[in-house]
Amino acid sequence: MKSFRIAALAGVMAFTAFSSSAMAEDITIGLATAQTGGLAFADQPSLAGFKMAIDEINANGGLGGKYKVTLDVKDTRTDTAATVQAAQELVAAGVKIMITPCDADPSIAAGQISQPAQIPTLTFCGTTPTIPDAVGDYMFGTYPADNGQATLLAEYAIGKGYKNAYILKSPDSAYTLRLPEYFSEVFTKKGGTVQGEGTYTMGQQDFAAEVTKIKALSPQPDVIMTAAYEPDFPAFLKQLRGAGITAPVLGSDGIDSPTTTGLGAIADGIVHTTAGFPVEGSKLAAFYEKFKAATGAAPETVYVATGYEIPYILDAAVKAAGSVDGPALRDALANLKDVEVLTGKVTYAGTNRMPSRDITLVEIEGGARKLLLTATPAPADVPKP
Amino acid sequence: MDIFLQQIINAISLGGIYALLALGLAVVFSIVSLINFAHGELMTVAGYGMFFAIAVSLPFPFALAAAVIFACAAALLTERFAFRPMRKADMTGLLLTSFAVSAILRVLFQNGISARSKAVPLPAELSGAIDLGFFHIGIVPLLSIVTTALSLWALTLFLRRTTLGKAMRAAAEDFQVLRLMGIKANRVIAVAFAVSGVLAGVAAVLWIAQRGSVDPLMGFVPVLKAFVAAVIGGLGSLSGAVAGGFALGILEVLFQAFLPEAALPFRDAFVLGFVILILIWRPDGLIPAPVSRRS
Repeated sequence: MKSFRIAALAGVMAFTAFSSSAMAEDITIGLATAQTGGLAFADQPSLAGFKMAIDEINANGGLGGKYKVTLDVKDTRTDTAATVQAAQELVAAGVKIMITPCDADPSIAAGQISQPAQIPTLTFCGTTPTIPDAVGDYMFGTYPADNGQATLLAEYAIGKGYKNAYILKSPDSAYTLRLPEYFSEVFTKKGGTVQGEGTYTMGQQDFAAEVTKIKALSPQPDVIMTAAYEPDFPAFLKQLRGAGITAPVLGSDGIDSPTTTGLGAIADGIVHTTAGFPVEGSKLAAFYEKFKAATGAAPETVYVATGYEIPYILDAAVKAAGSVDGPALRDALANLKDVEVLTGKVTYAGTNRMPSRDITLVEIEGGARKLLLTATPAPADVPKP
Repeated sequence: MDIFLQQIINAISLGGIYALLALGLAVVFSIVSLINFAHGELMTVAGYGMFFAIAVSLPFPFALAAAVIFACAAALLTERFAFRPMRKADMTGLLLTSFAVSAILRVLFQNGISARSKAVPLPAELSGAIDLGFFHIGIVPLLSIVTTALSLWALTLFLRRTTLGKAMRAAAEDFQVLRLMGIKANRVIAVAFAVSGVLAGVAAVLWIAQRGSVDPLMGFVPVLKAFVAAVIGGLGSLSGAVAGGFALGILEVLFQAFLPEAALPFRDAFVLGFVILILIWRPDGLIPAPVSRRS
């Protein structure tokens, strides 16, 4: 078996060598992402969108019009050690660009491998704004960052006239911990008061004790903000409303799923951030149609769209750099400005490589979402990561 | 005082779900010495049963029935195709088999159904609360308490009054002697799995009533809690499993409610620390099995 594998590998390498000498403009993008395990809910749809965009770009001559792309997809099983292993194999295989999972830990671990090899590396939808700085100048985020989402939510809360906020956070992940903390930073800076903080354990789905505490607060908070998502968010909301607490709830992009709208009347009035919302006639809506026509199933999440956007961001960078050489591509990515994608505009120039980009705010009403606004938070308002 | 009462109700409701889960583990363990870590996946199967029933617009009671039937069927199928061939294996072999079953099922859900969670919308009446003046009780916690009590009562009747139930109790005490009496081993074991499947299905309904969705990895947390509860109670002891479930639920809620804010992130450490104290005090669990077996 082993000798067969080596033979096969040798064959593939010979073929790659042959084909790359025949067509010098082919490049490989390596994807070390979680197609099984706890991150598959985000990485699977991201990959589906990514592949679709690569097919389109290849049909038009490749990245920057001249580099046809081959994908090397490895499943990391949501295991950080396996992600490092996959990243090492991809670096050894000579990939020009690397994509890492939708989470900070494996993305940083994989980035540590690709950084010294000077391979521009992008996380699918990791939202932790410290990812790029934790790795170095070859690491880029792509998705709306936690601090950006929190800023938009805090500005919305202030605009609605909320004075007292209660935040619910979990130290179990950077997302569930830091996003509410960024919110509280901006909310306080803009004149609000954070009246209390609660803590929960992820996956516990029992909020009775926390809810009883909120119920005992006097005065009751004007607004409750959390970055909890499934299964915690629905459980929290049910128990909150069950206890007769009516304060409006603000959430983050983690609750952008059909489960939230399936909660019925208690979900009415929830406002949350998301990467994009398919308003009729928008680019995103057209993409959802196209995706449905191509795969037979409507996208289950906006991650399909954000995955689809990444090759187009790369395309813009390769065009600007004129090559796929590591340092040139890094600089071109870092200087991108106002790249038009499905959900708005993406800018890296002037950021710490976590993009400044449009974020959407939606409200749930009668079992459906409606668009409130789409905006890029002003960089000066966004808290430092 | 009213806050304390409120928290006690919360604790009983959570403890009841843990008790049902731990009971499911204990029923199987008492007979075949298997800690079935695929028990959580039985809950996931039950959840998908509900999801599909609602997706084809069956009325809600049918969705509940689907949950229990799916979980029961899944329990019997795993028994027939995974655990029966491994019957002669030792405890470690059985344990690893259950891990394998669990992993295989999870990947099947992820790649066969969806890696994303599926919404299981419940009737709106279920998310309300009853206001008794001095405190609120949510419908779901109330149903949890009632369902747990009914399930425990039904299981007790089954074990005490029916021939199969008596055979199961006998099997837990001495399986070889039971076989010498002419009772078919396969049948008793299959019934034990079926009972654990039904318990998983009922627990899954209560669990999903809180979260409103089913996802491929949903079973992981509950099975861990069930395992801890079964160990506190005394592995293989049915009344111990119930006591352990309630003990764990009460510990969790009380620590969450009354620990100082700064210590809250370490709540689970406090809970498990307390569990260790219980086990030092009673190494075989709160109510040890007649034939005590430690894993």
